[in-house]
Amino acid sequence: MKPHLKREEKAGPPAPVAAGPADPLRGQKETVVRWVLRLCALVSVLGLFLMVIFLFRESLPAWREAGAANIFSSEWSPDKGKYGILIFLVGTMAVSTGSLIIGAPLALGTAVYLHAYAKPSWKRFIGRGLEVLAGVPSIILGWLGFTTLVPLVRRFAGGTGMGILPASIVLAVMILPTIATIARDSLEAVPKAFAEASLSMGATRWQTLRRVTIPAAWPGILAAVILGLGRALGETMAVAMVIGPATAFPKNLITPTHTLTTKIMLEMGESTGVHRSSLFAMALILLALSMFLIWLVRRLSAKTIKGTSGGAFYC
Amino acid sequence: MRGYSRTIAKPEINTSEAGLKNGNGWRGLLEKKAARAAARARWAERVASFIFRTSAAVSLVVLAFIIGTILARGLGTALDPSFLFGKPQALKEGGGIGPMLFSSLYLTLLTSVIVVPLGVGAALYLAEFSREGRLVRLIRWGTESLSSISSVIFGIFGMVFFVIYLRFGYSLLAGALTLTLMNLPTVMRVTEESVRAVPGSYREASLSLGASRWETTKKVVLPAALPGITTGVVLTMGRIMGESAALVYTVGIFVRKIPLSPLQPAAPMAANIWHIYTEGALIPDWMRVASGEAAALLVLVLFFNLAAGALAGIIRKKMGIMN
Amino acid sequence: MLHEAEEKEEETVKGTKEAILEVIERPGDNRTEGGREGIGTRALENKMELIGLGLSYGDRKVLEDINMPIPARSITAVIGPSGCGKSSLLRCLNRMNELVDGARVEGKVLLDGEDVYANGFDVVGLRRRVGMVFQKPNPFPKSIYENVAYGPRLYGVKQRKVLDRIVEESLRRAALWDEVKDKLGSSALSLSGGQQQRLCIARVLAVQPEVILLDEPCSALDPISTQRIEDLLHELKELYTIVIVTHNMQQAARVSDFTGFITIDEQGSPGRLVEFGETREVFTNPKEKKTEDYITGRFG
Repeated sequence: MKPHLKREEKAGPPAPVAAGPADPLRGQKETVVRWVLRLCALVSVLGLFLMVIFLFRESLPAWREAGAANIFSSEWSPDKGKYGILIFLVGTMAVSTGSLIIGAPLALGTAVYLHAYAKPSWKRFIGRGLEVLAGVPSIILGWLGFTTLVPLVRRFAGGTGMGILPASIVLAVMILPTIATIARDSLEAVPKAFAEASLSMGATRWQTLRRVTIPAAWPGILAAVILGLGRALGETMAVAMVIGPATAFPKNLITPTHTLTTKIMLEMGESTGVHRSSLFAMALILLALSMFLIWLVRRLSAKTIKGTSGGAFYC
Repeated sequence: MRGYSRTIAKPEINTSEAGLKNGNGWRGLLEKKAARAAARARWAERVASFIFRTSAAVSLVVLAFIIGTILARGLGTALDPSFLFGKPQALKEGGGIGPMLFSSLYLTLLTSVIVVPLGVGAALYLAEFSREGRLVRLIRWGTESLSSISSVIFGIFGMVFFVIYLRFGYSLLAGALTLTLMNLPTVMRVTEESVRAVPGSYREASLSLGASRWETTKKVVLPAALPGITTGVVLTMGRIMGESAALVYTVGIFVRKIPLSPLQPAAPMAANIWHIYTEGALIPDWMRVASGEAAALLVLVLFFNLAAGALAGIIRKKMGIMN
Repeated sequence: MLHEAEEKEEETVKGTKEAILEVIERPGDNRTEGGREGIGTRALENKMELIGLGLSYGDRKVLEDINMPIPARSITAVIGPSGCGKSSLLRCLNRMNELVDGARVEGKVLLDGEDVYANGFDVVGLRRRVGMVFQKPNPFPKSIYENVAYGPRLYGVKQRKVLDRIVEESLRRAALWDEVKDKLGSSALSLSGGQQQRLCIARVLAVQPEVILLDEPCSALDPISTQRIEDLLHELKELYTIVIVTHNMQQAARVSDFTGFITIDEQGSPGRLVEFGETREVFTNPKEKKTEDYITGRFG
């Protein structure tokens, strides 16, 4: 389009902006573009639906032939027709909780440091470090855990060195950047004026954080922890390489066990029939779990928006 | 409402000298308490500061340990051209990772070619061509849900849908499509963020000159958002490079020859490390191969990570006035 | 909620509960030294004094060689064109500048004759004694009650009854009590801008400062709210020393007893104090040409 054309259009009658198409096809082109873009946007929804449908379809034999009671039992021996997934569910919960216990305080501490204590240069440096840490592939963390952490645990605690403890540690490292980054963002989103008012009354940095900034950022911090938990629930490779694996309830923190993801990963290739189908049932349950967490996070972020515009949310 | 209902008469302002000297006024009370409170607060501050600084230091040490150990153990192997470009061996020592390196790059490229236009288009729809409504809410919900799903679930979905149902077989294409679905939310998010960061005045200027929405988007909004989008895309490429769980059952974990067609099976490095871990016994020098491959993978991922920031800077500089 | 737990907590400071309550009943001993003159015949005593004060952010000098007294229990206005560093000057008085990275202060700021920048000076104590009200009302996203109780809680006052008295008296002094007494539990953010600013003043009053710094407190408010705040300042100066920064010369002329005029020679050069004196003098009979130009609107 030539500049002088634009000027002509502008000089025309006071038609509404951009509503005087010089080119008769222009309006149609606009519609086509809009539709193409809309289709792109719908791919994610379509993909999600396809995933749910296909996972459900593949898991149908398990629900139909084994039944929910069988699936939610604690005995897993496919050759005897027992498809209980409780062991793996417990394993998943244990490593996720463990990773939160280890990782969340570290991540939140780092977030608070970056928000309130770090000098600008350190802020940039550690912020960048967190990005890098978030980018380290899980297979590398698993490999590192397998070659350094497992021998270490074996030396100090005996056994195989594999189990919930090393898995939790590896996962803690994985969720650290997730939690730290999001928690820091929500701390930074609290208006500076609040902290300023508090500091001007003689509060220390910690008093200001504890009484003003952290309460105001609380929904975001909680969302960060939940998203970290979501990442821990779904992580596969890093856990698989340090957890054992073994199909047994963990006796303690260093006996081999399994999680939902590791079970799926290790047996999908060599299973058939109801056995294979029950692995899909596990995937479906895991999917439901993570979608529940996302729903929680959405509720929390809705609360944040309400909270900053008034209301008694913070009291 | 709090249980505050008592009303008391406004107290007289006491100006007597006596009240002052006793130091027992309102201010006196605060002063007396404040000294103790301040001492406590200073203590708490010291402890808190120590805890936060330590957390950050531990995080940093963990990162340094990871990078340091992986590179120390494998960089030597990884930098050897006969390893990096060599043929893999199954039962002999001295195998390389040539086909795996190629697979990783091929897969990353293939995925990007699909996911970037799709993600950018979707983000443009959300940011520029739609109004908040049921459809947009549905799309956002779908995208967020997708971003929360475990990669192993993407993997087995890719297996039943692309590999089996659509009969692609174990192939780069099946893997690329699986990864597309997996990374679509990220590309959409970074694009939408960058597009929304473009000042509204840019659009108004263009629209007031008679340009249509799409022309405005193409000529004004996208160029201005390009640095941000580039950063996001390159970061996503790094993530694709490191993905393994979604690929074991869609692309493959071991190949001997370089895959040329997207319909051939392949073995990206990350997935191949899994292969070595599970089938380690078959390779006599598995420790060397896995360490070298891990180091090579980490270097590649770090490269993408660092390139992301630098690229945005270069684009910004080239466009000069745009930003 | 948490208050019930705190109510049970025993007062640990010397004296019984009754004694403290009695004290709160007559919280009037706000005037420390110099109180003997009584209102109306105030002696010109300097509560604070700036001696050769300079401030720089990194390499940039913002203020240079400011020498200025702040007379006790009166209102001192600091006026000047925008960007002359008058807000920065205010922040030097309670060391809020320390929160800015790379800020460096030269010279002295005396409070009751003591240099607040001296080594070992208690910053927490300083900020309690020298309170600050900001340009934009910034109440915490808490209830009205909790906003006012914030300072006393910070200093370790836990007893509910004492807090109640302090909150009420502070709100009364800030001329806000009648408007909010029935909704102390509702969010401070539900108040109007003018009410929020008065709440911020009440929040500062609750810790019984000796000096109150106000940084363009009315710039975000409508004329009626502005009027209320100005009236309030008039009442408060009987009890507190007030420093107000404003770019509104009418406001300075209306409310202040003393005025200091700060300006910069050119963009980027540090702000200097051109003139300081009684407001009437400065406005009607300025000694310096620059002051006259600024006041008559010929510049700035």
